[in-house]
Amino acid sequence: MVKAVRPSRADYYKVFAGTLPKDALVVTSLGNASYLWAAMHHRPENFYFEDAMGLALPLALGLAIAQPHRPVFVVEGDGAVLMHMGALVTVGAMAPANLTVLLIQNGVHGASGGQALTNASLDLAALARSAGIPRAQNVTTPEAFASAMGKAGGTGARVLVLATEPDSEVVRPPIAFDPVLTKHRFMSAIGAPRYVPTMFGGGRLEQD
Amino acid sequence: MVASGKQSANPHRPSEILETLKRLGFGVAIAVPDSWLGEILVRIEHENMRLVRATHEEEALAIACGTRLGGLRTAMFVQNAGLLSMGAGMVSLAQRYQFPLLMLVSYRGTVEDPVFYHTPKGRVTEPVLKGLGLAYAKADRHRPIGLQVERAATYAEEASCPFALLLSQEDVQW
Repeated sequence: MVKAVRPSRADYYKVFAGTLPKDALVVTSLGNASYLWAAMHHRPENFYFEDAMGLALPLALGLAIAQPHRPVFVVEGDGAVLMHMGALVTVGAMAPANLTVLLIQNGVHGASGGQALTNASLDLAALARSAGIPRAQNVTTPEAFASAMGKAGGTGARVLVLATEPDSEVVRPPIAFDPVLTKHRFMSAIGAPRYVPTMFGGGRLEQD
Repeated sequence: MVASGKQSANPHRPSEILETLKRLGFGVAIAVPDSWLGEILVRIEHENMRLVRATHEEEALAIACGTRLGGLRTAMFVQNAGLLSMGAGMVSLAQRYQFPLLMLVSYRGTVEDPVFYHTPKGRVTEPVLKGLGLAYAKADRHRPIGLQVERAATYAEEASCPFALLLSQEDVQW
């Protein structure tokens, strides 16, 4: 839960960048979740949202199902989770062990300017556990986050609720956030199969 | 579009839908149930195809984008009410990132639907789809459904967009 003094998103991202497995896939929610991550640790295996608030988590669930042998991380915000709380239930039901949810709890709608949440003091880890995700915990320091990142394995998805100060400014991303480019760059990096058109005798996805 | 597939002779149209999805290599289906869709979803679970039961259609859309991003050919099963409630995700995620998705939609509230309370949704569905710019077609009950599913799937991939095929009760209810 949100405490009086909290680390910044950048504090957690430094730990995240330093502990991220080499083969990991990362999905980041809109706003600074994506802008700051691109500025600190851009790589082709990052999938950046630029809008679609609340949908990063379910997209990451789909990605984790499609890529079961790669660790998938998603950075989602507390406001976004409140918009689509049902996604936690679906994650709990599907229980992909390769999915880790980093849930930034800053107590505000940060991407839209810091408006108040409907309820800023929820115990989101308890909420996740109630939704069927036993491996859910509140994290209040970068050191505790580093320790949690070092604990691989386990059954089902994992949720780490990171108590965070609201961002003080909007970070200017160092790369273009063209959505189609983001998608193709990501799919190329993971070696996703390509669609072969019917006029070439295809009509199927084929692995190169 | 190019018709590349064979026309199935299976007179049971829901079976033909399932057979077509398997033949085309669909690896996963994302669904929010409707009374017409209930049994075909159970059948999918018994086949060699992954089924994800989502809690809301916009959530289902995002999961489908994720499975397609990860390299799985993906189908969605939703009611037309779900098309009405997923508008923001449709334009800001699925269409903006150009995800090819096959959406198989139970088309409730037409003159042939005996359940009266669906009519408000039936009346507005196609105008809303046009407003969203979502490519769609109504299934023709006089033609094999498998070929229509294949053409919808082909359109989605070759135009890099979601495509909704609106299905009648006899098309999809097992």
